[in-house]
Amino acid sequence: MIFDFVTSGKSPISPREKKFSCFMLFFEDVVKVPVFGCQRCGECILSSTAFICSQRCPKRMRNGPCGGTGAGGMCEVYPERKCVWYRIYYRSKLLNRLSLLYKINKIHNWNLEGTSSWLNVFKKRIGAPIWFIRGDKQKVKEILSDDAQRKD
Amino acid sequence: MTLKEKIESGKFIVCGEIGPPKSCDGDVIREKSKYFKGIVDAVNITDNQTALVRLSSIASAKILLEEGVEPIMQMTCRDRNRIAIQSDLLGAAALGIHNVLCLTGDYQKFGDQPEAKGVFDLDSIQLIATVAKMNSGFLLSEQEMKKAPNFFIGAAANPFAEPFEMRLIRLHKKVKAGARFIQTQPVFDMDIFTRWMEKVVEMELHEKCTILAGVMPVKSVKALHHMKKEVPGVKINNEYISRLENASDPKEEGIKIAIEMIKTLRKIQGVQGIHIMPVMWESITPVIVNEAGLNGI
Repeated sequence: MIFDFVTSGKSPISPREKKFSCFMLFFEDVVKVPVFGCQRCGECILSSTAFICSQRCPKRMRNGPCGGTGAGGMCEVYPERKCVWYRIYYRSKLLNRLSLLYKINKIHNWNLEGTSSWLNVFKKRIGAPIWFIRGDKQKVKEILSDDAQRKD
Repeated sequence: MTLKEKIESGKFIVCGEIGPPKSCDGDVIREKSKYFKGIVDAVNITDNQTALVRLSSIASAKILLEEGVEPIMQMTCRDRNRIAIQSDLLGAAALGIHNVLCLTGDYQKFGDQPEAKGVFDLDSIQLIATVAKMNSGFLLSEQEMKKAPNFFIGAAANPFAEPFEMRLIRLHKKVKAGARFIQTQPVFDMDIFTRWMEKVVEMELHEKCTILAGVMPVKSVKALHHMKKEVPGVKINNEYISRLENASDPKEEGIKIAIEMIKTLRKIQGVQGIHIMPVMWESITPVIVNEAGLNGI
């Protein structure tokens, strides 16, 4: 079970593909940088973080906020800035996407840094985005009860 | 008995904490270990806390082992990438250190070398999953090890940081990744902690991991004010501040507050232990353990 959490896509990128990836990244940037504040990690998890880029976190946390979120949800490193995970939580709640926050995101594959995540989805290096979530509250309940069952 | 066996037997656990010195003087740790031997079940060894250079946590943990005190080695992601983390873990296992507390780590800005590069290759949840994977006999590269380590995995939780519900999601993920015991940040607001524990019990997480509540005895009201202002993610009830302000002997009052807190915490459902973490005041731990009636249980 735990294995799924850590292994990341191993298929290497050829130099030729990397060139094409840079070309693709240009179009991806046009949308993702101004709209979501994309940091080009190449392993996009925007769809499970309510369309706010989690990589703007100074610690680049991929699995939720660190323990330093201050009063009013301010970042501990840059106190003038809101913690991205604070914003992700409240937007997930608003958009009924809380069940996605229970997912454990894999360790970042640094080979993919600065490549086009659209191409990486197409090449099946990373998972496809999850656009719609139906019955979010039910899903959260299932996640919680699933674990209770596994224990038995 | 090891910490793991004690936790499995359902015993009420008491943990201490030692901050290693800012020099290569191992005798400081040997000296401090005397406060803990035979009094607490295990002692946390901090890993360059608040990003200040200190004697490494692995070496300190080994010294504690030699002194007959069970260490809980803290491991942060700030200073190591995945290669160094795995190698350090293997080294720790070879030295006989079997308890590891997985943390993300304080940002380097809070230390005395803010210009340093923070690594943060993994976060705490991924670190827990990594240790769990190593326990099963594999490295992150999928390579099988000839001898697998046998770590007892711990993690931290902060019930007092915003947003409250996200903290429970994080706890759920940590348990799912493989954490078997949880140490919380110091409790200075019993209402929030009680509310958090109620939710933990509701989610049945206390059955899958052991919750050790943090208790921090403070010497002066200045320390509390400093924590409230400077340390993010800490909530302090004004009652404690006014009590310390009005006390004739703040040290004595600080100890009294800690003992009262331990007695209240013991009654909360799901709390199976406490973690006493005086900052650079280790000598007070045996006093508190004694006076709270935790000796020999």
